[in-house]
Amino acid sequence: MAAISVHRLAKSFEARQKAAGMRGSLRALVRPVKRLVEAVREISFEMDQAELLGFIGPNGAGKSTTIKMLTGILHPTSGHASVLDFVPWKQRQKLAFHIGTVFGQRPQLWYHLPAVDTFLLFGKIYEMDDRETERRIAFLAEAFEIQHLLETPVRKLSLGQRMRCEVAASLLHKPRLLLLDEPSIGLDVVAKQRIRDTVRRMNDEEGVGILLTSHDAGDIEALCKRVIIINHGQIIYQDRVSALKRQYLTTKQVDVRYDREIETAFTFPGVQVLKTGRYGMKLRFDSRRTSVERVISGLAEFGNLVDVTISDPSLERVIRTIYEADETRRKGERNGHA
Amino acid sequence: MPSMGASSTIGLSGSRLKALDKYFSIFKIQLINAFAYPADLFSRVFSMLIFMWVFLQLWTVTYAAMGQTQIDGLTLRDTLWYLMIAEMVLLSKPRLARTIAENVKDGTVAYLLNRPYHFLLYQLSVGLGDSLLRMVVNAAAGGALIWLMLGPPPNWLGVPLVVIALLFAWCIDFCLNAMIGLLAFLTEDVSAFEWIYSKLVLILGGVLIPLDFFPDWLRDFALSLPFAYTTYAPARIFIDPAWSDFSGLLLRQVAWLVALSILLGLFFQLGVRRLNVNGG
Repeated sequence: MAAISVHRLAKSFEARQKAAGMRGSLRALVRPVKRLVEAVREISFEMDQAELLGFIGPNGAGKSTTIKMLTGILHPTSGHASVLDFVPWKQRQKLAFHIGTVFGQRPQLWYHLPAVDTFLLFGKIYEMDDRETERRIAFLAEAFEIQHLLETPVRKLSLGQRMRCEVAASLLHKPRLLLLDEPSIGLDVVAKQRIRDTVRRMNDEEGVGILLTSHDAGDIEALCKRVIIINHGQIIYQDRVSALKRQYLTTKQVDVRYDREIETAFTFPGVQVLKTGRYGMKLRFDSRRTSVERVISGLAEFGNLVDVTISDPSLERVIRTIYEADETRRKGERNGHA
Repeated sequence: MPSMGASSTIGLSGSRLKALDKYFSIFKIQLINAFAYPADLFSRVFSMLIFMWVFLQLWTVTYAAMGQTQIDGLTLRDTLWYLMIAEMVLLSKPRLARTIAENVKDGTVAYLLNRPYHFLLYQLSVGLGDSLLRMVVNAAAGGALIWLMLGPPPNWLGVPLVVIALLFAWCIDFCLNAMIGLLAFLTEDVSAFEWIYSKLVLILGGVLIPLDFFPDWLRDFALSLPFAYTTYAPARIFIDPAWSDFSGLLLRQVAWLVALSILLGLFFQLGVRRLNVNGG
């Protein structure tokens, strides 16, 4: 059974436009200019129970709007969605018992109170037995390593500590589905990794499905098996993370070091020199056009190699490539129409 | 869902009880939270004392200048106790409209809407938790001052009766304030509406001048609007708890409360459909 199934879901809203300055304000008052913003344009996708699905896109792509429709906060303009067999915007409160949400930096914990107070309150709100709540708090405290933080007022926690408490709070009522909207925003590397590890563990152990939106490719790479890329409210890519990498990892980056100083510039057909230092260089080429073998032998002829590293581009670069291709296609379409 | 299954076998009363417990817990956590802001509490007590001091000077001079012990049936002591209750209500109110508008602006409303409780009942519980401590503290400070200067409340029967009237008054104000707050679902900025509402309460609610001192036509006009029932009704009942007055004002409070809660419910249904959450 699909945990989430979305069919041609769309959301548009009217935004008022206003020219700059006093004159613009006055004109907007007399004759408001409204512009239709299509935040999400007829997207369709499915997510299986217990899946780890990444939802990425640049700011304003429609990620959060989609999440908010899936939790029932926003009513769509058209289309259908079912989340755990509920229609979210019609059965918002019933659905709420079965899903957990974390919205980036918007706190859900009471700021001046210790986190455990909010946990106990959520136990009541989700209609759990007191003993069940206590057991669950103990379990989550261990899993998220927050035992020592629970009694401290939330305002005194670091961002990383607070986010661990936030995610733990959203799992208190054993949701079947966890929606994480930019959970790692503003966190340092270590804090990010801890959250990712624990979220993956919860997915393993409790089978909670994870839908994660992020603009940090690292989150997707570390957590997700499948990814949906969204741009301008449309899905532009949807496949397994491994397939995404295979398909786009044809651009190779080479770092070389020689035993003596580089005096002449290195030129080779199909190879782009990114940086030249005293002893080393950084190069890039497309392995479909120029074979790896030829590049390496070219580099070997250039001098005595001490070290060579060939690496794949980061997932971040891959995703940027996909956006750029999409932007170019859009531009082409626009010109074609004109 | 084992937990839900268990509660449904107990029956409707069991799940009702859990729902009540839920809202009581929200009220409780907000009450505890109110203790976390002692500075806010003290600043309110301070303004309460200043307002009461100003009123005291103003009305003492007025009564002396008119050379009367009663104006429209109210003595100086009646007037000041009346103003104390009205002012206490005013200064203890939660900033509900602003809070809802802020929640919409910063996107926190997303959290508030996707939990298994009713958004308005949640706000009601939070607001009550917010107000209770302030009411007690403001009443203690303002009451102490008036008692010291002019003597005890005119009628002790007013004390239990005012509690009932205050609860209804608070709920009427909640409905009006929540409706203004819900406008934020459509317009984002509600401070203008909030300003107008607060001025209407000041004048037509009888906070600045007791409605009894108004010309008859204006008094009748004020009494036909809901604002008087948020401040005038409890204050008037407190100083003169005659049964006829009490039942009359209370009945009108209930009528307004029923009408306004229905209106608020409709407003909410409409607002939720049109909500645009920021930061999407």
